[in-house]
Amino acid sequence: MVSAAGLCKQVVTSEGMLDILSDVTLEIKAGESVAIVGVSGSGKSTLLGLLAGLDTPSRGSVTLAGQRLELLDEDGRAAVRAGRVGFVFQAFQLLAGMTAQENVMLPLELAGVTDAGARARELLDRVGLGDRVGHYPRQLSGGEQQRVAIARAFAGGPEILFADEPTGNLDSATGARIIEILFELNRERRTTLILVTHDEALAPRCDRRIQLDGGRIVNVARVSS
Amino acid sequence: MTRLKLALRLLRRDWRAGELNVLTAALVIAVAAVSAIGLFSDRMERALSGQTAELVGADLRLASPQPVAAEWLVAARDRNLRVAETLRFPSVVVHGEGLQLASVEAVGAGYPLRGELRTAKVLYGPETVAPGPPAVGIAWVEPRIMQALSIVPGAVIEIGVASFRVERLLTYQPGRGGSFFTLAPRVLIALGDVPRTEVIQPGSRVVYEYQFAGNANALAAYRQWLTPQLAPNHRLQGIGDGDSGAGRALKRANRYLGLTSLLAVILAGVAVAMATRRYGERHYDTAALLRCFGVSQGGVLGLLVPQFLLLGLIAGAIGCLLGWLTQAGIAQLLTGLLPATLPSPGPMPILFAFAAGLLLLAGFALPPLLRLKSIAPLRVLRRDMVPLSPPVLMVYGAGLLAITVLTLRFTGDWLITVSVLAGAGVAALALGLLALALLNVVRRLRSGVGVAWRYGFNNLWRRGRGSLTQLLAFGLALMAMAVIALLRSDLLASWQTELPPDTPNHFAFNILPADVGPLKDYFAARAIPSSGLYPMVRGRLTHINDKPVTRPVTKDDDADESLRRELNLSWSATLPPDNRLTAGPWWDAASGGGVSVETQLAERLGINLADRLTFSIGGQPLTATVASLREVQWDSFHPNFYMIFPPGALDDYPATWLTSFFLAPQQKPLLNDIVRNFPAVTVLEVDQVLGQLRAILQQVGAAVELVLLFVLAAGFVVLFAALASSLDQRIYEGALLRSLGASRRQLRSAQLAEFLLLGLLAGLLAAIGTEIIAYLLYTQAFELEYRFKWQVWLAAPLLGALLIGLAGVIGTRSVLQRSPSGILREL
Ligand SMILES: Nc1ncnc2c1ncn2[C@@H]1O[C@H](COP(=O)(O)OP(=O)(O)OP(=O)(O)O)[C@@H](O)[C@H]1O
Ligand SMILES: [Mg+2]
Repeated sequence: MVSAAGLCKQVVTSEGMLDILSDVTLEIKAGESVAIVGVSGSGKSTLLGLLAGLDTPSRGSVTLAGQRLELLDEDGRAAVRAGRVGFVFQAFQLLAGMTAQENVMLPLELAGVTDAGARARELLDRVGLGDRVGHYPRQLSGGEQQRVAIARAFAGGPEILFADEPTGNLDSATGARIIEILFELNRERRTTLILVTHDEALAPRCDRRIQLDGGRIVNVARVSS
Repeated sequence: MTRLKLALRLLRRDWRAGELNVLTAALVIAVAAVSAIGLFSDRMERALSGQTAELVGADLRLASPQPVAAEWLVAARDRNLRVAETLRFPSVVVHGEGLQLASVEAVGAGYPLRGELRTAKVLYGPETVAPGPPAVGIAWVEPRIMQALSIVPGAVIEIGVASFRVERLLTYQPGRGGSFFTLAPRVLIALGDVPRTEVIQPGSRVVYEYQFAGNANALAAYRQWLTPQLAPNHRLQGIGDGDSGAGRALKRANRYLGLTSLLAVILAGVAVAMATRRYGERHYDTAALLRCFGVSQGGVLGLLVPQFLLLGLIAGAIGCLLGWLTQAGIAQLLTGLLPATLPSPGPMPILFAFAAGLLLLAGFALPPLLRLKSIAPLRVLRRDMVPLSPPVLMVYGAGLLAITVLTLRFTGDWLITVSVLAGAGVAALALGLLALALLNVVRRLRSGVGVAWRYGFNNLWRRGRGSLTQLLAFGLALMAMAVIALLRSDLLASWQTELPPDTPNHFAFNILPADVGPLKDYFAARAIPSSGLYPMVRGRLTHINDKPVTRPVTKDDDADESLRRELNLSWSATLPPDNRLTAGPWWDAASGGGVSVETQLAERLGINLADRLTFSIGGQPLTATVASLREVQWDSFHPNFYMIFPPGALDDYPATWLTSFFLAPQQKPLLNDIVRNFPAVTVLEVDQVLGQLRAILQQVGAAVELVLLFVLAAGFVVLFAALASSLDQRIYEGALLRSLGASRRQLRSAQLAEFLLLGLLAGLLAAIGTEIIAYLLYTQAFELEYRFKWQVWLAAPLLGALLIGLAGVIGTRSVLQRSPSGILREL
């Protein structure tokens, strides 16, 4: 489903070239769930961005849904994502001017789904926010906002879900509940899940655990569940 | 299709969230201003040209020494134009022993096409409107003929071999206001009576004049068709071709209207640009998220552009409606002043205003929108990513193009457009630098004020570019308001002085030398203001530097070829009050001879200083060198002359005197008395013409008041857009500060300090800009005298501080009202 070979990312800073990611090679199969762990600054978000085609590598290649991303331009990469990929972010990325329901509807509407409203409502129900559909993000707590974000990520029926520290901004109890919902939906819909986290406790819930340090993969472990 | 629907849904969501308020307001005001001003001036133009047509008697006049081909008139009627035929010839009018040279005018059915004929039963008696031209066998005569022949209504006069009964006195005839010096008194008869007189023989001096009236487009088409077929001795004249009395006032008013709508549009453009910029910044996340969801760059635009297009269409429609209502309301308010039936406006101003709104949107909103498409989807992971700025040329180029197109439309001239824009560019740059310098000064001044105030002052500098933009926007808005307000009051004042209440409304000429003293005494005894008595000798200009003059000398098309070289010559020891020397000195006792020539005539005939002019006065030659050139204000209603000689130079020639004087309506009966006391004197009433001029000026003044409002409204939208541009940052900082323990009061004073200072600086900037721009406008575009505007230097900074301080504190209330945690949570 997703694979990377010899992936490198360098950025130019005032102190010269900085390697954020060096020689990352990995392969993630359809339906598999992978946790990418590592200390802050180890390059997790960078890797996630490259795998999702949000950014371009300095060297190496990424294959997403059978397409070589580095051969495509911005719009080509966007087309690969369209209808296939869902995201959950650390900063929840809800649009402030839209209600919870409208936020969830957005990917459905983009896909031209006719009963977007009903399906969004259903998903919000699913994440336990059935009574908050008309509320704006500012009227929701952090955990509630993240649940809306999860509902939105699953709304388009994605094959792959990218999640970047979905619990990073939440207290542990709320975080646990979010994770619960995330994995439940993931299991149900057989989505490929790529989860970036620095929460070691989350890793065992995935099929595999990839540990990054200083931009390199230092450990890949299959997690037996 | 689904994308379009989605775009509309997104628009509705943004609308509900209030994201589009400022943008919509700016667009609506721009379109409303352009359409209201366009519609109103369109209507006024129609009304005024209608009125001018009434003064002239027709929309189009064709004069010819012979009858014109019949198909020319058929072609006019085919175009649904109304046609009236007239015939003019000089002839002697006989009554018993009395003879008087008169200009006989024979008019056909339908005459006059515009305006009306007015007659009276007795001299200076009440006037009535004549339903049409005189009947067969009837003559209407000017009072001068009655005086000259000592007849009363009912008398029989002879023209050629035919007799006519003098039925009434002709008191007003359209198109005969002006050239009274050259004209013999008029007799009006029916066209059908001409053959009976047997006066017209081959070689007679006759002018056939054909008059046309009707729809403007049809007239234009007819004119276009006719012009190539005209012979050199044909003269075609439309209204507005010549100098009408109110011409200068109207020209200024049109410039003012054009300038104000242009300013309103520029201000709206600035507001649109600022509002869209903010819209763009607030939609980075939306755009990045859409890209994450797999929408292509084009797709992002495909979602955004229809939203703005629709917004433009809706705002345009509302603006046009508002503009229409405004001009209708104003026309309603002015019913007493405006002609009873103001022509309804054409569709062009509406269409143009609508297009202007879209153009504005395209020029000022598209660049920030285009920027959104290039946002990196990575922003969802790294919040600090903002899209690359598009090339400077694109940001400003599009707006510049929009403004250029609009300016071109208002000025109708490439050269003026380019110089206006170049001037504005230089001014903007200079003001920008000045604003930067002012901010720098403030930075140095900040010590010596309280903590909160220091923080406020500091903010101004810290925000850097944001403050600079705000300062410029505020300054521009204040400047536009100040310039327009100044121009308005000076224009109105200039029109007031143009025709003061005691402007002479009667001319008296043919004053014999023996009558000069008694007439002066007569005026003095009754406190009748007069413009003084001027001697007048009629002469022909025959040679310039010994070369014969072949071109007609005066513009007077009523006269025939020989008369058109006749000039009024006068003498004076001093320069008359309405005259201004443009070249050469005025003579004094020492410098002696020469002649002073009016500049326009000099230009037309190629006369320069020191040229030798030869005149023929009563058959005797007179030669003089040009000593000076004079500019003359012809529409002052004072006697004026093309040629003025020093005293004594014309003593050998027979002279009569003329004057103009003012009679209040209740003094009107004095006219009879004057005529009785000075039988040789001829009096011409121009109070009708004067009244019409005044009405025109009043209408123009009303329009000027109206458009001021639009510039003010546009200025306020800019203020709001500029305020809103920093609102997000202020809210965030305010919340942060409060969470760090700053009290509301401290925050409020800091904000007040910042805004007061911003307003003060903007006002200062506006004062400087106003002084420069007003100077240029006054001297270059409006021909007004410019005086240093010290009031602006006081009012602009004070008003700026007050206005922006107040608006700023009210506009950023939300910074203080909402709880810090709520605000911080949103981010
Ligand atoms: N564009 C950039 N310019 C400079 N440095 C960058 C850039 N992008 C990433 N970095 C640096 O690369 C390193 C990896 O960043 P990344 O966001 O991938 O880390 P992370 O593992 O997600 O950390 P965290 O757990 O804190 O989110 C960091 O040190 C970051 O500062
Ligand atoms: Mg990260």
